[in-house]
Amino acid sequence: MDSALIPEGVKRCSFGKFIFWIIVVGAVLLWGVFAMLLCWFKGLNQTNMNDAYGFAVWIWADLAVIALGGGAFFTGLLRYIFGKDELKNIINYAVLIGFICYSSALLILAIDIGQPLRGWFIFWHANVHSMLTEVAFCLSCYFAVLTIEYIPLILENRQVDKVPFFHNLSHNMHGIMAIFAATGAFLSFFHQGSLGGVAGVLFGRPFAYREGVFIWPWTFFLFTWSAAACGPCFTIFITWITEKITRKKLVKKNVIMLLAKIAGWMLATYTIAKIIDTWYWAAVTVPSKGFTLMDFYSNNPLYGIWILVLEIVICGVVPSIILITKKGRESSFLLISAVFLGALGACVNRWVMVLQVMAVPVMTFESWPMYFPSWQEIATTILPVAYGIILIMISYRYLPIFPQEREIEQIG
Amino acid sequence: MKVCRRSFLSLIIGGAAGTALSPLPLKLMDDSSIWSQAWPWTPVPEDGEVSHVGSICTLCPGGCGITVRKVNDRAIKIEGMKGHPVNNGGICVLGLSGLQLLYGPTRVKTPLKRVGARGEGRWEKISWDEAIAEVVKKLGGLREKGKSHTVACISGTDRGTVAQLLGRFLTVYGSPNFIRIPSIQDSYELTMHLMQGVQASAGFDVENADFVLSFGSGLIEGWGSPVRMIKANSKWKERGKVVQIESRLSNTAAKADKWVPINPGTEAALALAIANVIIQKSLYNADFVKNYSSGFEEFKQMVLNEFSPDDVSGITGVSASTIESLAKSFAGSSKPLAVCGRGQGETPGSLNEFMAVHTLNALVGNIDKKGGVWTVPDPDYIKWPEVEMDRIAANGMSKARIDGAGSKRYPDTRYLLDRLPNAINSGKEYPVEALFVAGANPVYTIPDSKAVKEAFNKVPFVVSFSSYMDETAVNSDLILPNHVFLERYEDVPTPVGLQKPIIGLSKPVVKPLFNTKHLGDVILLMAKAFGGQIAKAFPWDSYEVCLKETLGNKWDKLINDGFWADSNFRPAVWGGAFHTPSRKFEFVNKGKAESIKIEGDEKAYPLILMPYDSMRLASGFIGDPPFVIKTVEDTVLKGKEIVVEVNPKSARGFREGDQAILSTPKGSVKVRVHHFNGIMPGLVALPRGLGHTAYDEYLADKGVNFNELIGPVEDPVSGLNAAWGIRAKLTRA
Amino acid sequence: MKEQHKNTKAKKYGMVIDLDKCTGCGACMAACMAENNVPFKKDESNKLDSITWMRVYSLTNGKKFPEADMCYIPRPCMHCEAHNGHAPCVSVCPAVATDYNHETGIVSQIYTRCFGCRYCMAACPYHARYFNWWDPVWPDGMEKYLSPNVSPRMRGVVEKCSFCFHRYQLAMNKAYVEGRRELEEDEYQTSCTQACPAGAIIFGDLNNPGHAVNQIAKPDPKHGGRPMNPHAFRLLERLGTNPKVYYLSSREWVRRAGDNYIKDEGKQGNH
Repeated sequence: MDSALIPEGVKRCSFGKFIFWIIVVGAVLLWGVFAMLLCWFKGLNQTNMNDAYGFAVWIWADLAVIALGGGAFFTGLLRYIFGKDELKNIINYAVLIGFICYSSALLILAIDIGQPLRGWFIFWHANVHSMLTEVAFCLSCYFAVLTIEYIPLILENRQVDKVPFFHNLSHNMHGIMAIFAATGAFLSFFHQGSLGGVAGVLFGRPFAYREGVFIWPWTFFLFTWSAAACGPCFTIFITWITEKITRKKLVKKNVIMLLAKIAGWMLATYTIAKIIDTWYWAAVTVPSKGFTLMDFYSNNPLYGIWILVLEIVICGVVPSIILITKKGRESSFLLISAVFLGALGACVNRWVMVLQVMAVPVMTFESWPMYFPSWQEIATTILPVAYGIILIMISYRYLPIFPQEREIEQIG
Repeated sequence: MKVCRRSFLSLIIGGAAGTALSPLPLKLMDDSSIWSQAWPWTPVPEDGEVSHVGSICTLCPGGCGITVRKVNDRAIKIEGMKGHPVNNGGICVLGLSGLQLLYGPTRVKTPLKRVGARGEGRWEKISWDEAIAEVVKKLGGLREKGKSHTVACISGTDRGTVAQLLGRFLTVYGSPNFIRIPSIQDSYELTMHLMQGVQASAGFDVENADFVLSFGSGLIEGWGSPVRMIKANSKWKERGKVVQIESRLSNTAAKADKWVPINPGTEAALALAIANVIIQKSLYNADFVKNYSSGFEEFKQMVLNEFSPDDVSGITGVSASTIESLAKSFAGSSKPLAVCGRGQGETPGSLNEFMAVHTLNALVGNIDKKGGVWTVPDPDYIKWPEVEMDRIAANGMSKARIDGAGSKRYPDTRYLLDRLPNAINSGKEYPVEALFVAGANPVYTIPDSKAVKEAFNKVPFVVSFSSYMDETAVNSDLILPNHVFLERYEDVPTPVGLQKPIIGLSKPVVKPLFNTKHLGDVILLMAKAFGGQIAKAFPWDSYEVCLKETLGNKWDKLINDGFWADSNFRPAVWGGAFHTPSRKFEFVNKGKAESIKIEGDEKAYPLILMPYDSMRLASGFIGDPPFVIKTVEDTVLKGKEIVVEVNPKSARGFREGDQAILSTPKGSVKVRVHHFNGIMPGLVALPRGLGHTAYDEYLADKGVNFNELIGPVEDPVSGLNAAWGIRAKLTRA
Repeated sequence: MKEQHKNTKAKKYGMVIDLDKCTGCGACMAACMAENNVPFKKDESNKLDSITWMRVYSLTNGKKFPEADMCYIPRPCMHCEAHNGHAPCVSVCPAVATDYNHETGIVSQIYTRCFGCRYCMAACPYHARYFNWWDPVWPDGMEKYLSPNVSPRMRGVVEKCSFCFHRYQLAMNKAYVEGRRELEEDEYQTSCTQACPAGAIIFGDLNNPGHAVNQIAKPDPKHGGRPMNPHAFRLLERLGTNPKVYYLSSREWVRRAGDNYIKDEGKQGNH
């Protein structure tokens, strides 16, 4: 039925099956949209946030998806700036995932603010001292960049490509993509960093606060670094899932291996940096404010020292070792476990840097406030996931996302 | 021109692009943000001319001066009146929230007549003429049948012109049953009466005391005139000492210089043991004891024989050495003061305890002295001609009071409201055919709520004069709503506990908002409708005329300053202070100082339930307005559930925040448990002032009314309620 | 405003709260709500969504009966000066909806500018900032007592104690009309200060040696405003927030409860 739109030389499932799944995922999406509208029209009382949890699951989701979307900028950086040409075979998908992640982040931010109609004040009345201002500017700019990176992909659709104007536009855009990739990498460096800065500058919150250089706390660099490490992990992981679902190989192994190796070294160096940061924070920063490390990990029902072990050892040290060793990468099971853990590590880190920051009592006469998101918060957090799946489904079906697909299929 | 698909699409896309590039989106964005900054459903208070009106707050008997800020005809904020002798600028949390009562949803806006069943809340709006005619018809009928004495009136106070008019009306009508809401005032008045032979209030020169020995009084929790007491407490912080004797770490105990935990109910014994030490070590004021007191030798023998520190230590749990050191510091101070009356003083308490504590004041000779207990006569400005009773009235007035006050059993007690429910329910006396309630909310405030409701249901005609839809108003047949305090004139005689007689004047700050009427005017109208001797007793055209005439030359000063203080007042001198038969202070010992036994069996109820008071919980006839209930901590009220305090030692497996059933012989309620190390093991403490069923949705159905869990215990001497607690148990919910 | 103040010295309005005198009566809380048109809901027992610019916390010494002790601590906004006005909340607000006024030392909040990102709440260790999770609703008729001096806030914005800044403005207006540039100490007082029955709250200019707050707290400008009065302390001073609210207590355990200390760390409470 829609065969004219499908890229040449590749097989896709029947249109009926496609629509069926679109409807299934679309239902979840609508549920999220309903929750979103509730939040917009009735206000944030629809959430379980409160004055102790001004930031909660949404901000975590924001930070997490942006970290996971970091695969786009980092792969772009490797391909266009460092000339790792093999990566051209996965860059499209990395860009798509990045596009989904960033658009989701912007959407969630638009729900998360108490006065969405005034959201643009962040640009109009910008406070240059605020990390959030930096986030907003870089995020929006980078989202524009991602859109520009994504457009040529759309233009490559068989039917669209037939229009000479679009064909030429696509061609020209490809020509200048390196500039955008460089800009994107630069912007990403800053907004990933400033997202880290969001927590790191909170000198009223000893759990979050970090020293640093100039205006940037260490978390600024750690966040960028971890996004560069975990983003590619997530790209690999999603590619693997896509391959499982489509039941075919989409990217050649050497490409995956290269990306995994780079991610592994990034993750390893990040983990070392994170360990040093944690040690310095625990040994120097925190005691100077009158706390001990264990003050942050006891006397509450959830946050034990396990979360630190999970973040640094299980999701840092373990996947690093797997990914930097050839044997580890070659084993499909270990590879996928490692990239999963790597991506999870970024999520745990973002969780800790948002929710645990809110939970730790600072005044001596307070106790740990605990929080569980309302269904509206959960639905709106799942909304981008559903949206992402739909966008991937459509893009995969109609666009030549995986340049090697046809080649692999012919071999196969 | 043929419109093809392509040109149509081009038009759409081009149009969209053009619009996007035009200033329109920016304009819309800007407009929407401006709209969000002034949502039509967010009120914008109107500006206008600012003025200030001075008045007196009557939400409690504290009598604070207030200054109300107005913008045009709206009252904006209540603040403490600077320079007022009671509160000098300070104000309490309830007083600050007064405007929420004035403008709040609990107001009764017009006379109402019940149409549904009692308490069902179905009312018919009636006119004032109809309302007054209704009351007069009912009362007239009773009078004709010679049953005028079956009318009773419960009033928040017996002082000031309004209460006096009410009492006067009852007298000429022919009923002896004017009943004042009970409090420690009753016990103090009785103590002064028995020991000093005077009919007067006890005033406390707290500002000048330098050592305050408090037997469980919530000095900073609403005892006496609350703001004044808190101010005095600040003075004590600078120069003075406070010792709090109490089984729970109340705010007063926490702020005191020394907290002496004591087994509850044994305070009288401790006071007498302190007296023992003072006497034994000859630390007492020899001049006072020798020249101005009588019965000392007998008293001395009694305390020396029965109240040695060692013996009392076993009863009270206070060590003998502590007792000795308390006695020494008390008697060794230049202006010591001993006070009693638990918490805010809403339960009259054991007369023996009051007398034992007052004895301490006598021993150190600080009666009518700087920093001591003063005899405060009522301001004597109300000088109306004696009423002339007709035959029916005289006959009615000759009948015994239904509450037993002034009877052979309790000859010296004036009012015994807590005995009323039982008197009605048991039917031993005559039935009550009609009941007036003014400035009081007895359905909520009298202990043993079940019995109170039962008694109310037995009274065929209940009239409430409440301004608010409180529990009593809900359970009445007719509501004749009074103006609220910010809408009316009213004289406010000496606030409770003040050492000097003063008069305050409540003034209308705003014009009455609704179809309400001043209670004083309602009384005058009723009297006029009766005619005869009744009308004759009320020769005034309106309440305002009555008030002006009564206050005479004080009126102008009251209008200008808001208060009138008797500048000539001096405390009595010992030579002429006492009006007992001996003309001396009497060391009276009516009965032994045994502690009051509380209700309940120890085996079935291993714990003791005690109430506690807080400035943030209004537990009198006014309930917490929204601001005040907002200040209540979550260790007191959580959602709709009341939280009780238990020492972790006696929590028996109940963890912090657990639900439990709290049972006493009077009833069972659902509570949440809060572990509190400041409470003596074996006790459960429950806050007073919650558990309202009436008022608005900001207050109703939150927590539990303590009075549902306790009944009155009669003091053997005074007949007043002396229950300080009740046996209780906690079981799994 | 800056121009007009050229001839006057910068003020640093602050508070001293005597915890020995504070009885926990709650008057300051209600005084604040009444003055500043603070809304209320049907259930305010969840203190995590209950707007109380001034909140009275209670603390205990953690000991068992009968050694247990308790103290109340009123917590307005601390109006942190931090370093050069970079209060924790001010520096993070992305839209300059909250600002540090160098003329008065007051941290402002512009409700119509705030778009409700709540970053400032995450930054404030004192929980002095409150979000309007709901539309403010006054029962029918009760909106009559709302003061025109303070605008009621709309849903979705953050609000907090302003040291009754509108009173400062009114006092300054009056002073200008009378040809003065400086305010007397009693001309500008916050609502809670005036109401406190215990006289436990004192308010004034910390920079002015004639003002009681300066005399009592004795802030040491060389050490970031640290009090020189040994009974005085500030909340969470160690975080570098440099708050302008000082507390007094004669009890050491109370002073120590003002900040976090590692076990056995310097026993004196005010460092």
